[in-house]
Amino acid sequence: MSLIDLLVAEYRLVYGELFRRKSAIVTMIMYPYLFAGFTVFVGYAYGNPQYFVERTGVDPVVFMVTASYILMALMTTVDELFWRPLVDQWVGTLPYILATPVNRLKRYFSIPIPRLTILIITGSTSVIPIHVYYSGFKGLATGLSIILLTTIGAIISIGFSMVITGLVHRIGESWRTLNIIRPIIMILIGAYFPRKYMFIFARYVSYLIPASHVVEIIQGLMSGLETPLYILLSLAIALSIIYTPLGSKTIDVWEKKKVREGVKFS
Amino acid sequence: MSKAIVVKSLRKKYTVKKRGLFRRVYEDIEALRGVSFEVNYGEVVGLLGPNGAGKTTTIKIIATLLLPDAGEVYVDGFDAIRQPNEVRKRIGLMLTVEKGFYTKLTGIENLEYFGILYGLSRREARARALELIKLVELDKLGGDVKLLEEFSLGMKARLSFARALINNAPILLLDEPTLGLDPPSARKIRELVKKLAREEGKAVLYTTHNMFEAEIVCDRILLINKGVIVAVGSPNELKRLIPYNRVINMVVKGDGDAHSIIEEFGLRGLSEKLENGLFTIKIHVDKPEEILNEIVKKYVSKGFNILSLKIEEPTLEDVFIYFSEGS
Repeated sequence: MSLIDLLVAEYRLVYGELFRRKSAIVTMIMYPYLFAGFTVFVGYAYGNPQYFVERTGVDPVVFMVTASYILMALMTTVDELFWRPLVDQWVGTLPYILATPVNRLKRYFSIPIPRLTILIITGSTSVIPIHVYYSGFKGLATGLSIILLTTIGAIISIGFSMVITGLVHRIGESWRTLNIIRPIIMILIGAYFPRKYMFIFARYVSYLIPASHVVEIIQGLMSGLETPLYILLSLAIALSIIYTPLGSKTIDVWEKKKVREGVKFS
Repeated sequence: MSKAIVVKSLRKKYTVKKRGLFRRVYEDIEALRGVSFEVNYGEVVGLLGPNGAGKTTTIKIIATLLLPDAGEVYVDGFDAIRQPNEVRKRIGLMLTVEKGFYTKLTGIENLEYFGILYGLSRREARARALELIKLVELDKLGGDVKLLEEFSLGMKARLSFARALINNAPILLLDEPTLGLDPPSARKIRELVKKLAREEGKAVLYTTHNMFEAEIVCDRILLINKGVIVAVGSPNELKRLIPYNRVINMVVKGDGDAHSIIEEFGLRGLSEKLENGLFTIKIHVDKPEEILNEIVKKYVSKGFNILSLKIEEPTLEDVFIYFSEGS
């Protein structure tokens, strides 16, 4: 059972859903811009752009468009894994999937990749133009670096997302629990609210999220401040290496619980 | 060659949560109470029983989708509890007909997706999907290019059956595969099941409520009631298990209590009230010639008009009702 075959199967499934449902693709492309627009609007209405630049070292428009892009891409990985078991339950495919001998780790690895690919590509219409507009040719390099780092951040989030997915579905009431956990992760990733401004407890929890280290690297890249690039990247990869087998185990525990209770057919 | 399916002393209890006014109340329901049976290769075995008898629970356990409380299940020699992945490779599964597909994919794309999950390469999955679409004649109905959301129930059932065959498993578990289907689709599935067992030697465990279907498709029937196998045999063997060999079938018209007359004779039977004062009556007897006149006279004397009367051999439905009486 090759990973490539599973990836192709997932690409077909997700793109079948996306491109045959026009509203889904339009929403997917529009959402980062709407999100960025809203936050910039609120920021300008109630905040001080000068103060924002002093605090972050980046123009608010550039920061917000980039932050929206990073967050959307990272949360795509998280969301695809969080919601897939529920979607499979709703459409009735869950018992058929659980009854296959598919390698669970390979399957869960391949689930977020198709949607992530689209999100990464949309960076060429959001992150790159805004950085080029503000910084010229240097902005192009920055934009491409941001896209590359975001891709790495999203991929190394898979193990972490699997851990949360397995645990939440194991505990039950997953719909409600995920709706609580999801915004907390969004904040703790630190894309909109940099980690250095978080209160101490939140900061420590944030260190446990692999993608948050990549976000810190990207923010350092944008502000021109020096960041311990290799340390942060190593930390993110190390966490991912720890989370991946753990994620596989939690998914296995959730499946076993499902089988103990009996997988519902309808 | 090992047996396709071996089930030994299977037991399963469900705990149902009921919300009381101040506290939760738990109730145990015994779905299976020591079920044992075997299925051979090349054989279609029907699992028949009333609702809640334990048919689906049995299928779920064999398909590794539910753990039993006690007992053993072997599929092609592999333990379904300790070696679920080996069992999954050897089973083709068909559960509910309406659900279980991705609606924005075509029939072929759905089959390919599940084929890959079963370990086929992309090319193999594609080739197998095309072959199966033709086998279930979905290509004639446009099922190869239509999205699932455009499929009728009959088309979904055919696709569901095709999915059960995607991994070319030697053992098929089919849970009410023709439920709610139009006659052509139901007939197509029945034909294919028989063909796969006869020509390819597949072992098929088939649950159904349809007695006619069970009689024509199944080589052997397991009657299950309240979690216990109450009778096993071919349709003809089962008919010989009931303690009467004839059924008086009548249609009568009148206002009285049609059923009480059966009881007055101390016989077993069923009556069903239809519209306009019509009743259908089935009376189980050993020697109809000895009692038929008396029964007819009684109905006439109670004001019933006898519209039709037939003496027939018991059907599988009579066997089913006999063994599931009181459920």
